[in-house]
Amino acid sequence: MLLRVFLRYRRTLILSAALVVSFLFMTLQVRQEGPLVDLVERGLVLTVTPFLKVYAAVTSGASRLWTNYVDLRRVGAENLRLQDEVAALREEVGRLTEAGLENSRLRRLLDLPAGLEFDLVTAQVIAKDTTNWFKIIMINKGSGARVERNMPVISTEGLVGRVVEVMPWAAKVQLLTDPVSSVGALLQEQRVTGLVTGDRGQTATVKYLPLMAEVRVGDVVLTSGMGGVFPKGIPIGTVTAIHRKSGALFQEAAIQPSVDFGRLEEVLVVTGQRGPGPPGGPRGPGVVRR
Amino acid sequence: MTRFLLGLLLVTLLQTTLAHGLGVAGVRPDLYLLFLFFLSFRARPEEATGMGFLLGLYQDAFSGAPFGLHAFTLSAVGYALSRVAEGVDVSRLVPRLVLLAGSGLAVGALSHLLLHFFRLGPPVSALLTVVLPTALYTALLGVVVLTARQLKTRLEVRL
Repeated sequence: MLLRVFLRYRRTLILSAALVVSFLFMTLQVRQEGPLVDLVERGLVLTVTPFLKVYAAVTSGASRLWTNYVDLRRVGAENLRLQDEVAALREEVGRLTEAGLENSRLRRLLDLPAGLEFDLVTAQVIAKDTTNWFKIIMINKGSGARVERNMPVISTEGLVGRVVEVMPWAAKVQLLTDPVSSVGALLQEQRVTGLVTGDRGQTATVKYLPLMAEVRVGDVVLTSGMGGVFPKGIPIGTVTAIHRKSGALFQEAAIQPSVDFGRLEEVLVVTGQRGPGPPGGPRGPGVVRR
Repeated sequence: MTRFLLGLLLVTLLQTTLAHGLGVAGVRPDLYLLFLFFLSFRARPEEATGMGFLLGLYQDAFSGAPFGLHAFTLSAVGYALSRVAEGVDVSRLVPRLVLLAGSGLAVGALSHLLLHFFRLGPPVSALLTVVLPTALYTALLGVVVLTARQLKTRLEVRL
């Protein structure tokens, strides 16, 4: 009897089941009550991740091989130029060593902390978001490599985003251009704080900047260190446009991120941090240890 | 079934890697929808629903979307496309393309609605900046695939 009913209404029943299960998955994940959802999601990711890792390794290897070949062809002329440069740099190293020693002495005198130092895990980008709604990347390192949720992710150019989901063999990273991402920001010259949010494109916006602040195109935006997720002083981007609406309590600024997300191949996950960093924030991601 | 699973794997690899190279102003074609579109005409509605559900789950697993969002939209669209194919002549190019563009708009509008429901709401302007361009781009890619298939068939007939 039940089988007959099922066969008769199978189309409607299967569609209803698919819709109800999907809706249940969404509800459980949004409420963060879903070990079952995580299990299903991880299972699906696991079936594809090995292929993605192989693809990433092959493309990266091919790209390196090509770069090496091109470099090899240039090497003769480059060698002569570099010999001259080495001589000049040796001279400069001598001067900078002196300056470094002087800097250490002055820091001790003023009782300032040493520069920022991060513990980093290098990871390869193996997949990018499958939709046009969000900006997520997947990296080939997970909890097995000490990667945890909410850890900041950077590249040599600046801030990339933060880890939002961790699996044993991979992790999802929310880019700073994701529409639901928010990062505490500091304008380097003006010393005013705001909030950087994504806007679905390749750019982002700094919101809640005081109206009194004289924000200019080209101003450098750094992480403010507020919120406890991102260390202070990591470059986020530069201001490209300023928006002041009449009657608004704050002004906004469009920024071009320091990182080219379209060409992102390798990232660094900040698994630990030593020292609060010099007052005013460093200009780059600081001293790193891997 | 094996062909579907291989296709699913291939689509996931393409969408997570190469599709980003096809991006125009941050908009990429929806290869999952394109794959489902071609499958739905040959499948029964219940099969198309199941395939849409599985495709959607994979799409969600590799995105920042709530898990289940695309499983919901692609199940519904797979079912609808298969039902339409039962009653409409979809062998010609134009009706197919209209259906593909319509499916893209339906998936986008439904996703927009669900994201709002779960308070991850993109602004209404996203209907014009995300949904419409994605649907048109996917339909354009569909034209390329369909034309290539027709050319291949003609060549095979001649040979």
